[in-house]
Amino acid sequence: MAASTKLMLSTGLYQKLSQFTRKLHSQPALLSSFRSSREVQELDQYPDVEVVANPPEWRFVERLLPPATVPQPEMKQEYPSGWRPQKEDGSKSGYYVARTKNHMVPVYLHTRFRGQRRITVVRRVQGDIWSLEKDLRAVVEQSRNGKLCATRVNELSGQIHIHGDHVDILRDYLKEKGF
Amino acid sequence: MLKNILNKSRQVLYPVARTFTRSSNNHNAATEAVPSATEAAPPATKSTPLILPQDYAVNYSPVSRSTARQAWIENTDAVAERKVGLIELHPDVFAAQPRVDIIQENVEWQRKYRYVSMAHTKTRAEVRGGGRKPWPQKGMGRARHGSIRTPLFKGGGVVHGPRSPTTHFYMLPFYKRVLGLTSTLSVKLAQDDLHIVEGVDIPTGDAQFLKDLIAERNWGPSVLIVDEDHMFPANISQATDSLGYVNLMPSFGLNVYSMLKHDTLVLTVAAVKHLEQRLLYQLHRNDAASKGGKFKLDQV
Repeated sequence: MAASTKLMLSTGLYQKLSQFTRKLHSQPALLSSFRSSREVQELDQYPDVEVVANPPEWRFVERLLPPATVPQPEMKQEYPSGWRPQKEDGSKSGYYVARTKNHMVPVYLHTRFRGQRRITVVRRVQGDIWSLEKDLRAVVEQSRNGKLCATRVNELSGQIHIHGDHVDILRDYLKEKGF
Repeated sequence: MLKNILNKSRQVLYPVARTFTRSSNNHNAATEAVPSATEAAPPATKSTPLILPQDYAVNYSPVSRSTARQAWIENTDAVAERKVGLIELHPDVFAAQPRVDIIQENVEWQRKYRYVSMAHTKTRAEVRGGGRKPWPQKGMGRARHGSIRTPLFKGGGVVHGPRSPTTHFYMLPFYKRVLGLTSTLSVKLAQDDLHIVEGVDIPTGDAQFLKDLIAERNWGPSVLIVDEDHMFPANISQATDSLGYVNLMPSFGLNVYSMLKHDTLVLTVAAVKHLEQRLLYQLHRNDAASKGGKFKLDQV
C-alpha cells in the first residue's frame, strides 16, 4: 500500500498537476477567456473609421446619463405616490417651510438611545417660526387626544423639534397647507 | 405699516430698481427687464448701464422665500464712485440664513487643520540619567525609589505631557463648508461689507490710487479683492503689492476665514457669477451623497 502511494507521488503526472494548481493560484487569468481573443494586428488590417465630434446620435447617450442637478418635477393633476408640488409661498400664514432640493417636505425622525427617544424634526422654516410651532403643536396634541407635547424651537437654524414620532401627521399637515 | 412706507420710499428713491425687480421676478422675463430698465435709467451715466438680472437657471429656482438681492456695480477706473449698473444676486447664495454657528465651525476648522502643535515634554525614559537606584530599599528611613527621574521627582519625567508633532487636522463635512460660504457671503452683503465692481482694471500701478479709492468709498480698513481669473492685471498687482491690508484672491480660493479677516469684500461681476454657479450647483447636485463619506488623504 505504502509502496504504491510512493509510486504515484513520484509519477510525472502528479507533479504536473500540482504545478498547474500552483500556477492557477499565482495567475488566476489562466482559466479566463482572455487568451481566446485574437491579438492586436497592424492598423492597416482594420477598416477605416471616421472620428466625429458631437454627432446627432450623441443625444441618445446623453439621455442615458444621469442629470447633474435635480430636475424640476413635471406638473400633473395627481401623482400616484401622493406627492404634491408646493403651492403656498407663506404670505398668508407668515411662515414658510421650504422644500428640499429633492422637492420633499423636510420632516424627519431622529432616534436616539436605541430608538427610546424619538424626535420629529421640521427643518427649513423661514419667517415666523413661533407661530408655526404653535400650529404644529396643536395638530400633534389633537392627534394625541389632547395630551400635551413638548417642543423645542431653534430660530437660528430654522428647526422645530417635537417629542415623539409624528412624522406622518406633520408631513400630511404641511402638505395639506400647501408647503 | 412701516413696511409699506419703506416699500413706497424705495419706489420713490429707486424707481428703476423697483420696476426692474418686479419684471424679473417672472422667471422668463429677463429679456423684457433689460429694455425697460435701460429706458428709465438716469442720464447721469454716459455709457449704457450694465443691468444683470437674476435669470434663475432652470434647476436653480430659489429655495429662500426672499427675492433676489440687488447690488450696485461700481467702477474702478477712477477714484470717484460711479454706479456702472445693477446686479441681482441669487437669494440662496447672497440672502441665505446667517448661520453664525456654521461660520464659527468653518473658522475653527480653517485654524485647526493646518496647525501642528510643537509642544513637547520628555517621559521618564527620555530624561537623562536615573538608571540606578538612588538609595537602598531598606534601612535608610527614606521612602523607597527606583529612579531619580520618576514623575514624583523634581526634574523627573512628565506623565501624559504634550508630544510633538501633534496634528489637529480634520475635515469639516462638505455641506457645512458650502453653507459656511453662503452664510458668510450673506452676512457680508447684509452688513454692507460686500461691494461689486465691474472689473479689476485700474489706470495706474500706484498704491496711492488704491488708497484714495478705498478712503473715498469708505471701504476697509482691510480689503479683499476677488476676481474669477487667478492672473490679475499688472496694475492692480503692483498697487496692492506694497499694501498689506489690500489682498487679491481668485474666486476658487474664496474662504470663510479670509472673508472675515478682511473688513470689506470686493467681488468682480465675473467672480459673482462664478461663485453663484458653483455654490448653486453644490446645493442642487444629484450626487450629493458622494460628498458625504469619510475624508481620505489620497482623494482628489
